[in-house]
Amino acid sequence: MLKIDNLHATVDDKPILKGISLAINAGEIHAVMGPNGSGKSTLSYVLAGRPGYAVTEGSVTLDGEDLLELDPHERAAKGMFLGFQYPVEIPGVSNVQFLRTALNAQRRARGEAELSAGEFLRVAREQADALDLSMDMMKRGVNVGFSGGEKKRNEMVQMGIIDPRLAILDETDSGLDIDALRVVGQGINRIMRKPDKAVLLITHYERLLEIVEPDFVHVLAGGRIVRSGGPELAHELEREGYGAMAEAAA
Amino acid sequence: MSLLTLPSNREEGWRWSDLSALPQLSEREPTGRVPTDLPWIACEREGPRLLFVDGRLDETRSRLGPVEIGPVDVTASDHPLARLAGRSGWRLRLGLDHAPHGLVQIVHVSTGAADHLAAQIELDVDAQASICETFIGEGWANRLTGIRLFKGSRLMLSRRLLGASGFISQVDHAQVGQGASLVVASLAAGGTDTRLDGHYALDGEAAYAEASSALLARGRQRHDANVVVRHAMPSGVSRQVWRSVADDRAACSVAARVEVARHAQKTDGEQSLKGLLLARSATINAKPELEIFADDVKCAHGATVGELDRNALFYLGSRGVSPDEARALLTRAFVADALDRIGEEEVKAAFYADVETWFAGR
Ligand SMILES: Nc1ncnc2c1ncn2[C@@H]1O[C@H](COP(=O)(O)OP(=O)(O)OP(=O)(O)O)[C@@H](O)[C@H]1O
Ligand SMILES: [Mg+2]
Repeated sequence: MLKIDNLHATVDDKPILKGISLAINAGEIHAVMGPNGSGKSTLSYVLAGRPGYAVTEGSVTLDGEDLLELDPHERAAKGMFLGFQYPVEIPGVSNVQFLRTALNAQRRARGEAELSAGEFLRVAREQADALDLSMDMMKRGVNVGFSGGEKKRNEMVQMGIIDPRLAILDETDSGLDIDALRVVGQGINRIMRKPDKAVLLITHYERLLEIVEPDFVHVLAGGRIVRSGGPELAHELEREGYGAMAEAAA
Repeated sequence: MSLLTLPSNREEGWRWSDLSALPQLSEREPTGRVPTDLPWIACEREGPRLLFVDGRLDETRSRLGPVEIGPVDVTASDHPLARLAGRSGWRLRLGLDHAPHGLVQIVHVSTGAADHLAAQIELDVDAQASICETFIGEGWANRLTGIRLFKGSRLMLSRRLLGASGFISQVDHAQVGQGASLVVASLAAGGTDTRLDGHYALDGEAAYAEASSALLARGRQRHDANVVVRHAMPSGVSRQVWRSVADDRAACSVAARVEVARHAQKTDGEQSLKGLLLARSATINAKPELEIFADDVKCAHGATVGELDRNALFYLGSRGVSPDEARALLTRAFVADALDRIGEEEVKAAFYADVETWFAGR
């Protein structure tokens, strides 16, 4: 589904990604772990098309189509979803309004019928319930006054409503208490664990990976993938830290 | 040929104005063409309707109710535009505890030349009215409105400045009596240039005055506002919420002043002037001023000018919202601070629809 080949990218002319290659097939969940500043968020932003992030070498395709040519909203319409490490607050725009606009824009782009206000609210309520967010909160400004954990749960409500094919989740587990972690982990499984979907899960902690079991684990250090393996790699990291691996890569 | 004496930019109150189109508009002949579809707001409770074409009442398409036509008693003042407005026009005088049935709607069509009109609104003790004026066309509509609110009366005055081109100038002179309330809400969302002047005096104790406006400009359009709220008596409350949006090479300028007289203790005055630049080539001028001679007052003012939040734009984009739609959504949220203060849902909905039309006009 997603094929990243020798990806190099700079931020403000500073090289951050230095040759990343990764292939993610439908039905797979890939975890990416790595020390602070290793380029995990940068990778997620480059994949989502954030302005200011320049690809200097390499390619990324989604279902064989050049992803890097597309604007962020076009990537979303193709089925890509980015769960933000730091979800953005938008005062004056309610979550409901934001998501209805988003969902209908995607449906329009795909030639599907838009949802009526009533239909949309039914879907929104279902997803908000599943993640323990009240509809009162959904009527407030996007992420405004939300706690760190509520913002992350809101990302998952959004993912549930949008129902993407490919989710890139950047530290969706950070800032969550133990109960919320379980709710969010189960949410990811419920929404994304399907034969025609795929997930790139960026995390620092093994705990999330006990709920959302990855098929592959990759270690990113210094802008490169320095090791790849199965779920056991996460246990090894939990025991030994990144130190040895990052050094090996340097 | 009329002699038009206009102020120059050297005068402080006119430094951001561009009145250069006015002499030409003054000499043009009106086309008299009135669109068949007029921007009346559909209301559950239909109230009086007045249609002015080039400053003259079209009786066949008007339903006056308590509104009268004729000489009006307003101080023309020495305002260079207001004194052109003359001394005749429409008048709404309501007696003790009276209220018109429904929203009073006035549509002004200006068909290519200059038209001048005065108005007088006088509400006696505990009277109430809600008036919505809508301006369309391509001429110069010049208006002077005198407002006098007696004890406990309430006036909601909303204005939609939607002219396709040309110029709209509006001067308000208001005296707000004891415990009375005046709310003036304006939206400039057409292709016309505008100049808004307001002198709102809180002459009675515990009076309330509010001026909320959203000004949207693109191309080479100019909106220019100059407002003074004067607290003359104690315990008054005033709110000024201005939201300016400028795209392309357009300019929005707002000068807003709060004056608090020496014995106007316990005054609570707030002023919020915010500007949003949709393009680097656009201009926003904001001049908030406080002039306070009393010591026990609560006054807050703030002016900010910024651009759309890039993070929010990317967040919206990542969820599938196109750049144009994302900009519209964020801009709408920006002006909502001003528009959400409109009490009547039907009027508010009309204002929001005008904002949508403005975005669709890109
Ligand atoms: N705008 C920028 N200008 C310069 N350097 C930047 C910019 N944004 C990010 N960087 C740098 O890029 C590197 C990678 O940052 P990134 O946010 O991708 O790390 P990360 O792996 O997500 O870290 P964390 O685990 O802390 O979230 C860091 O060294 C960071 O300082
Ligand atoms: Mg990060």
